[in-house]
Amino acid sequence: MSREEIKDVLLEIIADIDEEADFASLDTDAPLRDQLDLDSMDFLDIVMELRKRYKLQIPEEEYPQLATLTSCIDYLEPKLQTV
Amino acid sequence: MAAYQLLIIGGGLSGIAAGIRAARFGLKTLILEQHNLPGGLNSYYFRQGRLLETGLHAMTNFAPAGAKQAPLNRLFRQLRLSRKQFEVHEQLGSEIRFAGRSLLFTNNIKVLEESIAAEFPGAIDRFRLLRQAIAAYNPFASAPWRSARSFLSGHLRHPLLADMLLLPLMIYGNAEEHDMDLGQFVIMFRAIFEEGFFRPGATMREFLDLLVQQFHEFGGELRYRCPVAAVETDGDRVVGVRLSSGERLTADTVLSTAGMPETMRLAGWEGDQTQYVGRMSFMETISFVPRATMASLAPDRTIIFYHHGPRLAYQRPDDLIDPTWGVICFPGNFSGLSPEDSAQIRVTNAASYLLWKGLAAGAYGVAKEQWSRAAIAASEEIIGNYCASIVYQDSFTPVTIERFTRKAQGAVYGSAIKVRDGATPWGNLFIAGTDQGYLGIVGAMLSGITIVNQHVLR
Ligand SMILES: Cc1cc2nc3c(=O)[nH]c(=O)nc-3n(C[C@H](O)[C@H](O)[C@H](O)COP(=O)(O)OP(=O)(O)OC[C@H]3O[C@@H](n4cnc5c(N)ncnc54)[C@H](O)[C@@H]3O)c2cc1C
Repeated sequence: MSREEIKDVLLEIIADIDEEADFASLDTDAPLRDQLDLDSMDFLDIVMELRKRYKLQIPEEEYPQLATLTSCIDYLEPKLQTV
Repeated sequence: MAAYQLLIIGGGLSGIAAGIRAARFGLKTLILEQHNLPGGLNSYYFRQGRLLETGLHAMTNFAPAGAKQAPLNRLFRQLRLSRKQFEVHEQLGSEIRFAGRSLLFTNNIKVLEESIAAEFPGAIDRFRLLRQAIAAYNPFASAPWRSARSFLSGHLRHPLLADMLLLPLMIYGNAEEHDMDLGQFVIMFRAIFEEGFFRPGATMREFLDLLVQQFHEFGGELRYRCPVAAVETDGDRVVGVRLSSGERLTADTVLSTAGMPETMRLAGWEGDQTQYVGRMSFMETISFVPRATMASLAPDRTIIFYHHGPRLAYQRPDDLIDPTWGVICFPGNFSGLSPEDSAQIRVTNAASYLLWKGLAAGAYGVAKEQWSRAAIAASEEIIGNYCASIVYQDSFTPVTIERFTRKAQGAVYGSAIKVRDGATPWGNLFIAGTDQGYLGIVGAMLSGITIVNQHVLR
């Protein structure tokens, strides 16, 4: 998957989790949770959805690498290369 | 391979919410419910063509759609239900009538503050400080039992006001007699006074349909009339369940929402079941009156919590019921509901399971009629007479509750001892719902969600 495709998937997953999510003013380098006012339960849902869709196991120690949209894409790019 | 990744015992609110979470992320999930309808303690039944709700006075934790961190909205996100499309009707206003004194509250806590300032001017500053202390308290951190009563008397130094505040919080969410755990008090204070009451559009049936439909949407299976007779174990693991029909089902994980006493019985769990049998149960007296009668009684009240005695006596009564305190609820008095031809008045009073259970079959019916009249008479002292206008009346007792939900002794809020982490001696058997600790409709659903998140999805 390309970086652009990964970004689209992430935004789709977030939009599914949160019907109020507003991406218009999203800063791709600032923490997602603060900007979208998400909590740790929502965050778990992003991880779970990635696992369900791509059989991706993301260990808890690596959650910090999913803080911003850019860092998510950096983290997922090698893992989703063949998808 | 086991037949199911997750088996859930109980199709009440905690079980269905837990099921939605698991199925949503692709787990092969089956809910087993002994009754022929979903909902458990908060279900519905039919009498003479009328649908009667067993529980729903009001849902707690009201929050407007945009408040993302509010428990109600987190619940909707977790279940992937649209909060925006969910119809809510806020309460008109509720009242605490206690030994001749009165406090009003709505979903705006300023109304309660003003009411306290008017009724107890000397206590209002202390009440504001109490609110700050409650806001600062984290009820979800694991902590030893602490007395809500001492916390309140320390902050308010006003026994009557403390009792008045405790009355609704205890009736709507306290398994213990006399006192309440501070964490549970804080949860209930926020759920009722800070957030408030509402009703979904339509009835509990439509709300349960929405949940069950969502569960099916994600591929979950639900079987009714399927009492689980045993949880089958092998060493420190459970392997599945046996139904009363003899059928066996294997599972990677089993989640029981049937309560501690029932779960212990099913799993052959050694230990004292009786310590998990709650003592608080209630009799519910439901009357239908013509709309015109209702209009003359309490047109602008949603729920009235009343107490005649001088000090709050939250305990199992010495008689079949104790009509000297309780709840009077008007399910039609929520904002924006279209008026129906007849309106409901529901009266809830503490009741003694043991005394009801001890009655012979013939005496039971007579007692039910007699105590329904007593409950109605007690409520008439508060809202005015309506007995002569009743077009339909029905009641149920702790024995009815136990019969339909298998909740030991009909204890609506379950055990006074809660199993907060949901763990059992078996590594893949977990407890959710009432005996895990979050109570009420919203609480039970959050319990199911939390336990699945912690133990099944991780
Ligand atoms: C009269 C009354 C009024 C109430 N009013 C309100 C209100 O206004 N607002 C509010 O928020 N809350 C209210 N409540 C409380 C609320 O209903 C409960 O807190 C909540 O529904 C508990 O859900 P649960 O899933 O934990 O338990 P339950 O609803 O008890 O679910 C457990 C399920 O397990 C099933 N089961 C048990 N044993 C077995 C077995 N062996 N095999 C298969 N299935 C089994 C039962 O049939 C039941 O469906 C009220 C309760 C009552 C009784």
